[in-house]
Amino acid sequence: MTASIENSHFLLRRLHSLLGLVPVGAFLVFHLWENSQSRFGAAHYNGEVVAFLQGMNYLTVIELLVIALPLAFHAGYGLLILPQMRLEPRRYPYARNWLYGLQRVSGVGILLFLLVHVGTTRIQGLWQPAIRADLYGHMQALLSEPWMLGLYAAGLLLSVFHLANGLATMGIVWGLTASVQAQRIFGYGCLTFGLVLAAIGIQGLLGFLP
Amino acid sequence: MSRQHRTAASEPEPSAGKAEPDRIHLRIRRQDRPESRPYWQDFAIPYQPDHNVVSALLVLRADPVTIAGERVEPVAWERNCMEEVCGSCAMLVNGVPRPACSALVDSLAQPIALEPLPKFPVVRDLVVDRSRMDRTLAQVKAWIQIDGAWDTHAPAPRTSQAEWAANYLYSRCMSCGCCMAACPQFGPHADFVGPAPLAQVRLMNAHPTGRYDRVDRLHAIMGEGGLSDCGNAQNCVRVCPKAIPLTTAIGELGRQTTLQALRDLLG
Ligand code: SF4
Repeated sequence: MTASIENSHFLLRRLHSLLGLVPVGAFLVFHLWENSQSRFGAAHYNGEVVAFLQGMNYLTVIELLVIALPLAFHAGYGLLILPQMRLEPRRYPYARNWLYGLQRVSGVGILLFLLVHVGTTRIQGLWQPAIRADLYGHMQALLSEPWMLGLYAAGLLLSVFHLANGLATMGIVWGLTASVQAQRIFGYGCLTFGLVLAAIGIQGLLGFLP
Repeated sequence: MSRQHRTAASEPEPSAGKAEPDRIHLRIRRQDRPESRPYWQDFAIPYQPDHNVVSALLVLRADPVTIAGERVEPVAWERNCMEEVCGSCAMLVNGVPRPACSALVDSLAQPIALEPLPKFPVVRDLVVDRSRMDRTLAQVKAWIQIDGAWDTHAPAPRTSQAEWAANYLYSRCMSCGCCMAACPQFGPHADFVGPAPLAQVRLMNAHPTGRYDRVDRLHAIMGEGGLSDCGNAQNCVRVCPKAIPLTTAIGELGRQTTLQALRDLLG
């Protein structure tokens, strides 16, 4: 019997879950690590980090297939299931209930942030070669605006939270963690992962400041 | 043991403790018909120790007069066993979904607010229509087929003590619906079956005879309204009056469906 395949409900939801980790989550980890090298200064960042990425073979195809499309599916499907939420945090003030709500709210927040972030870097760079030539300088100019720095910090922390908390619930969804104890231990593991990733990300942001 | 004796034995020093209230104040959300507008009424009954919400409602029914002095229709609610095994008296007590019979008045803040169990359609006052629970239990095939190609006189299949102990936890579900009332993904707006039917799939799939229909049940919860619609808010496990490990069941079913999907995909 193949009832679960004829009915796409399960597979789509699991695809949404999987794509959030690979490639989207994995890309976030890479992206934050990559940008943490901003602390080595403009010459290293532009000359080594950005130049290497820009010189990659099939770059546009990879960007589309490995980042843009999976992200679009993950975000689109997330928006589709978002209206199912009937959050009552005052009646049920448990941590997991809050995290459930924050996971959905952060998803929308990340989407709005990404429109600004991708729009003012990758997209704007398509017709402004100066941005591609000196990405470090461009980021420095952007982040020197306090409100933009705040926006980036918020977008970054929301993204890291969404990944870390998503990873914790993935453990339950895929059946890695079943017992209360296993879920708790894995949850603390994800929290540690999130804190480390957030620290790397913030360090990357600060590295761009003059 | 007489009540006087017990009261005297358990009562703190008059100066130390707060005075025993002389009445029990109930604030009840009422609704005359399924489509009519709900409204609130306040009632008071004489204080007696060891009341629970159902016994207080029984006293109220004998003389349904509001605090304002108006004689009204008696409050409608459901009850049966009075020992937290039938599930019929579940309602919101001070905002929390729980069986009214095990909600002890002495442990509740007053006025005690009583509302019908949310997420289910109100029939009248505190009576809700929980037939959706029956439909979802049927949807996930939460039963065991006892007829089959085996000798009905053969001894029952053996179950290890450890397996039996784990299964027993889930067998205590009384379909009260508290877990569904607390679930942010469950309600008239969505077709999620809710935690209790999922836990029954976990139970039936582990049963020595029930396991023969395991694949059918897994396919049922892999469809619309099934396991995937769980959002892992985990309110269910906090409010379940029978302390059923609902989130463990959901994790175990996650594992079972992962493997089942692989079997479906790869043969
Ligand atoms: S799982 Fe618990 S809360 Fe849910 S219906 Fe069964 S007994 Fe009630």
